[in-house]
Amino acid sequence: MEQVSKTKIAHEVGEIQSDALRFGIHGVKSEIVGDHPLQSALQSHMMTESEMKRTVLASTYGSAFPLKMDLDRQILSKFQRPQGALPSSMLGFEALTGSLDDFGFEDYHCLSDPRESETYRPADMHHGMEVRLGMSKGPVCPSFI
Amino acid sequence: MSKSAIDLPPKGGFSFDLCRRNAMMSTKGGVHPPSYRKTGTTIVGLVFKDGVILGADTRATEGPIVCDKNCEKIHYMAPNIYCCGAGTAADTEAVTDMVSSQLQLHRYATGRESRVVTALTLLKSHLFSYQGYVSAALVLGGVDITGPHLHTIYPHGSTDTLPFATMGSGSLAAMAIFESKYKEGLTREEGIQLVAEAICSGIFNDLGSGSNVDVCVITKGHKEYLRNYQLPNPRTYVSSRGYSFAKGQTEVLTTKIVPLKEKEEAAEVGDAMEE
Repeated sequence: MEQVSKTKIAHEVGEIQSDALRFGIHGVKSEIVGDHPLQSALQSHMMTESEMKRTVLASTYGSAFPLKMDLDRQILSKFQRPQGALPSSMLGFEALTGSLDDFGFEDYHCLSDPRESETYRPADMHHGMEVRLGMSKGPVCPSFI
Repeated sequence: MSKSAIDLPPKGGFSFDLCRRNAMMSTKGGVHPPSYRKTGTTIVGLVFKDGVILGADTRATEGPIVCDKNCEKIHYMAPNIYCCGAGTAADTEAVTDMVSSQLQLHRYATGRESRVVTALTLLKSHLFSYQGYVSAALVLGGVDITGPHLHTIYPHGSTDTLPFATMGSGSLAAMAIFESKYKEGLTREEGIQLVAEAICSGIFNDLGSGSNVDVCVITKGHKEYLRNYQLPNPRTYVSSRGYSFAKGQTEVLTTKIVPLKEKEEAAEVGDAMEE
């Protein structure tokens, strides 16, 4: 693992997090509080919900079950289309996590779709592939102008 | 560690992209975003002998302006469940539509009638996770296998289970009527009458509520949506000459007519497959 990290650029997950011109200089308070009081509340709500689900599964099926689900989750999250015209459907991943049977804001609200957002940057397939292969820096899909 | 290794395409939802920029603009630049508009509503519900009756007024306000005189505030959730919404109209509609879709998916999966508690739990968990930023105050009513149910849901996610409930700015006026006249075992006619009276009390005593009365009666295996059940505020002035405009009021600058032609393609019937 150590050897790999020397030759490859670390894979940055998620959206751009450090950009002084856009987000301001890193401060202790803004790191903890977040941009909006709701943002940290939503994140912690999601975290506690997934933790609760894990403990329930562990106590029902044994502690190996959530670990196996984590492995499945990692495998299924790799099945993605290259960045470009078509979004990845993530069918297997959603079937595993149960979000296939769910219906949230992100499923029907055209405004909440990141592709419809006014700050969305059209994804670059070559850049995305380079990031995946550890040849380039940054998230696969910055989704932010 | 295992969480951070997963890289998924970004999903929708609330976006906080520009919050920090907006906060800086309002503190340092003196540019303030437009403020929220005042809303007002009267919505009520009660349990009667055979089921649940929901009622609502039809005025939509944005601050001092009445922007819709005959809007619908009783939203469909499931064939046996309806929901009245007060607060920001877009939020109530979005939340009820989303939960009704979730209930439909659940019905497809289970093949059974939706229960009112399912809708209640979905609504309250969604509202609680958004900490009151989704400003929807709801009265949820329905009849399922366990009987009639009536719940109120507040924007922050707390709920009540009551035999009669009111919500919105006219809730006090409507509750006054309910508290003086509600009794157990009301018949259908008495129930509708009481609901209409409570809504009318909101219409005439609360400035945020007005126009007409909508009523929805839900009984076991049957529902009846009485849109504009009462019209206590009809239009007083209607022009005697009518409002039909003569032809040619708007000048036609150019006209272009493109005839649609039917495109026909003959499929070859033959041995294409046999090669």
